[in-house]
Amino acid sequence: MNARSATIFAVALLVIAAAAMALAGANPLAGFAALLRGALGGEHQLSETLVQTTALLFPALAVAFAFRAGLFNIGAEGQLIVGGLCAGLIGAALAAPGWIAIPAILCAGTAGGAFWGFIAGALRARFGGNEVIATLMLNIVAALLANYLVSGPLHAPAATGAETAVLPAGSWLPVLLPGTRLTIALLLALALAVFLRYLFARTVFGYGLRAAGDAPAAAARAGIDLRRTALVAMTLSGAIAGLGGATLVAGVLHRFNVALSPGYGFIAIAVALVGALDPLRIVAAAFAFGILQSGSLTMQVLAHVPKDVVSFVEGLAIIGLSAQRLTGTRDA
Amino acid sequence: MLDFLELTLVKAAPLIFAALAGVLCERSGILNIALEGGLTAGAFAAVAVAYATGNPLLGLAAGMLAGALLCGLLGVAATRFGVNQIVAGTGLNLLAAGGTAFGIVVLFGTPGASPEVPALGARGEGILVAVALASSFALAFALDRTPWGLRLRACGENPHAVLAAGLDPRRIRVLATLAAGALAGLGGVFLSLGELDLYSDGMTAGRGFIALAAVIFGRWTPLGACAAALAFGALSALQFVLQRAGIPSELMQALPYLAALLALTGIAGRARPPAADGVPFLDA
Repeated sequence: MNARSATIFAVALLVIAAAAMALAGANPLAGFAALLRGALGGEHQLSETLVQTTALLFPALAVAFAFRAGLFNIGAEGQLIVGGLCAGLIGAALAAPGWIAIPAILCAGTAGGAFWGFIAGALRARFGGNEVIATLMLNIVAALLANYLVSGPLHAPAATGAETAVLPAGSWLPVLLPGTRLTIALLLALALAVFLRYLFARTVFGYGLRAAGDAPAAAARAGIDLRRTALVAMTLSGAIAGLGGATLVAGVLHRFNVALSPGYGFIAIAVALVGALDPLRIVAAAFAFGILQSGSLTMQVLAHVPKDVVSFVEGLAIIGLSAQRLTGTRDA
Repeated sequence: MLDFLELTLVKAAPLIFAALAGVLCERSGILNIALEGGLTAGAFAAVAVAYATGNPLLGLAAGMLAGALLCGLLGVAATRFGVNQIVAGTGLNLLAAGGTAFGIVVLFGTPGASPEVPALGARGEGILVAVALASSFALAFALDRTPWGLRLRACGENPHAVLAAGLDPRRIRVLATLAAGALAGLGGVFLSLGELDLYSDGMTAGRGFIALAAVIFGRWTPLGACAAALAFGALSALQFVLQRAGIPSELMQALPYLAALLALTGIAGRARPPAADGVPFLDA
């Protein structure tokens, strides 16, 4: 998508959003103003926007990782949930100093997400099963599994909702700004983005992944094992999403709750596409969507625009962006 | 026993409608993962129109139309604008979920659910169950025994051959998504105006994805998909009984999805999707 059509597309989305606000009986200008105020209007608001940015950045990088390898991972949501679930179970059970507990929790989340991605990757590699269908099914199985475990056998006795016990305070991710929920997870996500950019642009492994996505037939002829690539890419994609789930558990909620994700794994697809599958541009896209996520509630309260207008516009954005060429970009 | 059969049919009917929609799309070469969105749009539009006009039959028509528009959008976008069907389908699901949640607030003033509206009643519900079963046979006949069905299937296997025969595969695919959307919308109508008399957020509860599982399990045939939908309906009818026997309800709910994952391994014989399923065709 070039700059001109991107501008037209963005303006069209704004006009539609404004029309929807007007339809809801609100003044669109007041709606946008409230959205921005809720997202950027002060230190607290900005920190919450960055919390949302971080939450979207992990699954968006996961989605982009798989897409670059030519695989449609629609399952970041499920991988994030399983990662969060593993992180929550380990975190609640583990009484250890933070320098042991925090890496253990993050590793547990990464492993959980990787396993969930591995299932879809293995089905694809071993049986040629469509990874889209597999990841869609695994999303729902993940939600049901989490619901069963934390409302049944692993339910914390003191908890009111369907959730694990609260993690010991020593296992919480260190905050960047005192008094906010902004933790080192943001730095971790940014570092991951830079690393993935390097991986794709400068390493043989990353080149192999891109080749498998851009020109599978040529890649196979050049000796790249497509099955193995599919398995590895789905597993690593799941690992990234699972790590994101773990940071939500250890950094934001300090427990695993079934409502851990309001659909981050799906919005992440829009984020990855807006970022043209390039890790660094995805950072900027995640911030833009973070503004929408964190400002929408203020918009609902102050301007009386139902916050669901945000997912409506995000859906439109995904449909519009699905027209771009999805595998590979020339400049990375 | 009669209760169990009745409950099975009621639970299966929306799945049958959505699964037939899935078969229709995929046999024409469009992988439609927006069946969930089609159900949602149909269920909501039906209630909105029944609320405004007081006439559930107009609601039914509106539900079918809304489903057709949503899935038709996928067909047009996929054949004319070269969008990726999977990504666009995800977008449509998000669009339908967000749009209906927004619509509830705008139309009814409170979030979450609509008030009760004039519905189709027990008789209407029974008729729709019969329509679902009859549609399965009708679609099976149409796909296997009519020129229209042959062309549609050819589109899903080799659209270039269809083009060479002087037909426009893009047109066939768009019409297939429109018809499929109307079926999915009808599935939504069944949920909101048949089984109940209102719309509430998330009432489709993943049935569009169970339908995708039914398509695979039914090996992309209308009767197979209908049988799979009936089996999944029976599972959810059994849920209340088995839950009392100590089997977790989540496991019962997960069975259709696990079955679909198992079907992907080809354990029950090779399940082969149409050759051009999800493959874009643009250069007409």
